[in-house]
Amino acid sequence: MDSQRLEEEFVKRVQSGAKIEASDWMPDGYRHLLIKLIHMHAVSEIMGVYPEKEWVPKAPNLRRKLALMAKVQDEMGHGQLLLRIVEDLAAPYGKGREELLDDLVEGKVKFHNVFHMEARTWADAGLIGWLIDGAAIINQASLLSTSYAPYARILKRICAEESFHMQHGENVILSIAMGTDEQRKMLQDSLDYWWYSLLFFFGPLEITPAAQKMLHYRIRTKTNEELRQKFLAKYVPRIWSLGLTIPDPTLHYDSKLERWHYAEPEWEVFQKIVSENKGPKSQERIALRRIAQDQHKWVRLAMTTGI
Amino acid sequence: MEKQTEPSGVYEVFVQRDHLDPMMHVGSLLAPTNELALQLARENFTRREQILQIWVVPRTHIYSAEEDDFHAREMDRSYREVSGYTENGRLWRMFKEKEITLEEIVRYVEQKKQSKHDLHREESHES
Ligand SMILES: [Fe+2]
Ligand SMILES: [Fe+2]
Repeated sequence: MDSQRLEEEFVKRVQSGAKIEASDWMPDGYRHLLIKLIHMHAVSEIMGVYPEKEWVPKAPNLRRKLALMAKVQDEMGHGQLLLRIVEDLAAPYGKGREELLDDLVEGKVKFHNVFHMEARTWADAGLIGWLIDGAAIINQASLLSTSYAPYARILKRICAEESFHMQHGENVILSIAMGTDEQRKMLQDSLDYWWYSLLFFFGPLEITPAAQKMLHYRIRTKTNEELRQKFLAKYVPRIWSLGLTIPDPTLHYDSKLERWHYAEPEWEVFQKIVSENKGPKSQERIALRRIAQDQHKWVRLAMTTGI
Repeated sequence: MEKQTEPSGVYEVFVQRDHLDPMMHVGSLLAPTNELALQLARENFTRREQILQIWVVPRTHIYSAEEDDFHAREMDRSYREVSGYTENGRLWRMFKEKEITLEEIVRYVEQKKQSKHDLHREESHES
């Protein structure tokens, strides 16, 4: 069969709900998109550890410290599980774990904008658990229906672990919200700092050609904007209920259009943070990652050669 | 021919029912070769069920922990479990909100189209 026909049949299969396994034939375009998406997902899990691990020594009590460490451990674990999936996909190109991790310190693979930002206060640490994990959960839940079965299976596991992250984040935020005026001020300040980063997290409004391809191959089944709307619907009422002010006076639910109206983030500014690693903490964290990678080389060597 | 004179070995059998399910251990069988083990596994375990994939693994290839305390939990781990945060529901009610669960989010995200009712319900919290 010529490749044109193979591709057409493949698309017909995934569009009718078929799942693809690592050993199945797949078009190069499909493989590339998967590698790009899951590689970015994997390194984002790893880089997402930094803002939170910075708070492990400073957590307000032992239980919070244990919970934060457990969460850090989970996120590293998610990175490992996802890298394994990318390894299988990238094997035909001779790319393994070493190269996939090198790409991160060499700036060849991007990670989510939120992990370039600074976790300045304990409220920031809590807000990351509540809203950043919340946004990530909405994104990951939408990928449970992906056409690539190994990714779907791992996401099922990841989502199950995320339910603890969700409860932990909420618990931290609720206790700050019940605290002193000063603590509540700290929480408001944190929301002000993170709000537009959170909106940006879901990606641009327009459906880019790559995003269109992902929908075509059923790698994704929801658009960025659909997911952002779902996030707003679930979280805005809860943010308001805590007595917090969202730093966007135009934010409201438009019942005629049946969507949340919001002020858009400054797309170019945030895009630069991601594509050029120019966020407040990007370079510092990548440098730390580079040190870890060098110092732990012997561990990876022992794991691959068994010496 | 030579293979058939060898004693049969124990194979552990795993099946996968759906692409979204993991491989599940379903039992074991005796067979002289990998190929026969696979045939037998199909006959013994999947006569009715629609399944996607079967694995047969020689028991000698399975390595597992022998010490009893390998899986021991020395301390309370509720801080890393959802069950350690049951007070969230009560705390949200103090703010006139209700808790959310992961299952609720997954259901909500998987909806084909956002229903008008749902958005209104969420929105009405504010007013
Ligand atoms: Fe995660
Ligand atoms: Fe998480």
